[in-house]
Amino acid sequence: MTDKTTKERSFFLIRALSAAFFLMICVSGCALGKGIKHYVRPGLDVKHINKIAVLPFENFTSDTFAADKIKSLVVIDLLSRGVDVIEPGEVMGLLREMKLRSLKSITSKNIKQIAEILKVQAVMTGSVGVFKESRGVTVSYPEVSISLMLHEAETTDIIWSAWHTTGGADFMTRHFGAEGKTLDETAKILISDVIDTIY
Amino acid sequence: MNLCKKYILTFMVLITMILSGCRGNVPIYHVKSDVDFSFFKNVAVLPLDNLTNDKAAGEIVKQVVVSELLASGLIDVVIPGEVMSAISELGIQNISSLNKSQIKALGKALGVEAVIMGSVQQYGEVRSGNQSASEVTITLMMAEVESGNIIWSITLTRGGLDFMARHFGAQSETMSEIVQGVVREAIQTLVEY
Repeated sequence: MTDKTTKERSFFLIRALSAAFFLMICVSGCALGKGIKHYVRPGLDVKHINKIAVLPFENFTSDTFAADKIKSLVVIDLLSRGVDVIEPGEVMGLLREMKLRSLKSITSKNIKQIAEILKVQAVMTGSVGVFKESRGVTVSYPEVSISLMLHEAETTDIIWSAWHTTGGADFMTRHFGAEGKTLDETAKILISDVIDTIY
Repeated sequence: MNLCKKYILTFMVLITMILSGCRGNVPIYHVKSDVDFSFFKNVAVLPLDNLTNDKAAGEIVKQVVVSELLASGLIDVVIPGEVMSAISELGIQNISSLNKSQIKALGKALGVEAVIMGSVQQYGEVRSGNQSASEVTITLMMAEVESGNIIWSITLTRGGLDFMARHFGAQSETMSEIVQGVVREAIQTLVEY
């Protein structure tokens, strides 16, 4: 009788430990959903802004073309939502005319001037913090982080700002080595999520 | 009795493992008690001093600070380019060692009530045995323009090898998530105040 009870206890213990271990694996693989914390100037309806100039983005990554890739994805996303975006070549030409060498030092005066010349309601600036395939313990996954800002043409105030990043590898990639999304697909989703906060 | 001893032993091993994996990550911060933070409507975020080997660390963290400050709905932030232009016009060479008169001059030039400055001390991988994880340490300070005094400061570390990474090799957060977390936590101390 005692032997039977001991066996039952051991069996129960093994099952409980297995369940706890499985739960631990699952929890460690789950990233908690994080909403995009963004800023919209109070009392302003950003949705009414439908003509934008997107300036070249700052690139803080080791990928020389990361900023250009992200910028074109942003432009395409905005266009697909019915926002009128000034042709990037037009913007680049103007920046060259204005002899603006560094994107870091674009002032309110510059923004106002750009908006006036291009006849837009707002000017978008941004930066790319990360754009690479990161390596985890056993898997690699795409990691992208961007920052976007919208400046109103008249006041040059920041009327919308958002910073967002993609998380690490998803559950299936972490635990089963399943192939995840590509870097470009991840960037597209990230941009779409960020722009969803205004349009 | 033997079974009871086994349970106790297992429990003790488990507790030891948990405690060895836990590390206190309490922010060290100071808020000047006699300051009314509702007075501050506009701030300028100065370039952060980059004390890491990653060339872009200062800029990346600064972008997140600007974004999180705006998203907190607490304060309006001056356009970063405007700040760079003012620094250049005032002929400030070393942003990491500003004196009171320079803080006052910057504040006046930018039309803000306070400036936020700081540094990125750690931005990269930390190794422990055969495990590695991303870790970020930042220091942020807010100086009142009128007096040039520091009214808020915080040092915070986030990331590193947590319990799951240490004991089970589980993946920790990405570098970007850690940066966002550390900045958000730092600004939260200001929001709560």
